[in-house]
Amino acid sequence: MSKIVSVHSFRGGTGKSNTTANLAGLLSVDGARVGVVDTDIQSPGIHILFNLDESQMVHSLNDYLWGKCAIKDCAHDVTDHLGAQAKGKVFLIPSSIKAGEIARILREGYDVGLLNDGFRDVVSEMNLDYLLIDTHPGLNEETLLSIAISDALVIIMRPDQQDYQGTAVTVDVARKLDVPKMLMLINKIPQSFDLDDVRHRVEQIYKVKVVATLPHSEEMMALASSGIFSLKYPDHPVTKGLKAVVAELQG
Amino acid sequence: MNKEQFERALQELKSGNEDIRPSDVVVFSEPLRSALNQAIRVGRISLTDFLKLLDLDREQGKQIISILVERHLFFISTFTSQVDTFYETRLSASTRPMTRLRPDVWKKVDD
Repeated sequence: MSKIVSVHSFRGGTGKSNTTANLAGLLSVDGARVGVVDTDIQSPGIHILFNLDESQMVHSLNDYLWGKCAIKDCAHDVTDHLGAQAKGKVFLIPSSIKAGEIARILREGYDVGLLNDGFRDVVSEMNLDYLLIDTHPGLNEETLLSIAISDALVIIMRPDQQDYQGTAVTVDVARKLDVPKMLMLINKIPQSFDLDDVRHRVEQIYKVKVVATLPHSEEMMALASSGIFSLKYPDHPVTKGLKAVVAELQG
Repeated sequence: MNKEQFERALQELKSGNEDIRPSDVVVFSEPLRSALNQAIRVGRISLTDFLKLLDLDREQGKQIISILVERHLFFISTFTSQVDTFYETRLSASTRPMTRLRPDVWKKVDD
């Protein structure tokens, strides 16, 4: 049974795309066929983690939304970038990184319903086990749609007062959309913080399971989105946390 | 769904005539919201199951469903048979009003 998973954060800079790419990588290590959709059309970035540059993008999500191609035609096989550890497949559906195309989508908008159709089509046509949706930060119609059709929602936050407030809104909306599984991941926790204490406090506030508390990592910063962290550092505490998220999604 | 819930659901569904957006579903009252959430997540639902979900009789169900069809959340499915009617669900709505510019203007920006 395929699963659609939205990865969301209320604020930007929480490590959403990085986490999505790592979850895809780890799921593929376990043999899964994974699709990743970058719906952050206004500020796309996940393609960097899969080393997909503009010249390799045959079609983007923008082309699908403008009716130029089928969504399957936008899927790029990025499995080779993951190395020999990947036993399954990862397909990335990137958003366009052309300035004019980003401007056009902002100016003209698009029918959110096409995302609805596209997500379902790509899951069935590409025989995916998982479709991971890298959402735009904050709440808008396309993010709500992603949450509404997802089997699981991973909410990412940092231990920051602005994140605390915004995340409360996301959790509230997700509850109203009856997401079957809601998981929380706390990212970029300063080394001086007690991870268990942070987990306990967040679980108390939101009444949502915190599945991973990831410490701020110098190695992650040094990697600078040039690869999939969990595959390069399989024994790192951050990877351990990401594996816990994967285990929850698989369960 | 009791009479009061049914009347409220009808009123909420009739309060607009454009396509039902994800943000509309969030503010619908219970049990309508939960029933629609389930139908949307599954992607297809039979008339019988929808009536059961909301505990509606056929006449009440007809009133609710006709608005859902009018507002393009429900579409009659090709799975419909003589035994039961099936509906596909599709959340819609444009992120911004579609206004058409010259078709080549954005390409020119990229070039």
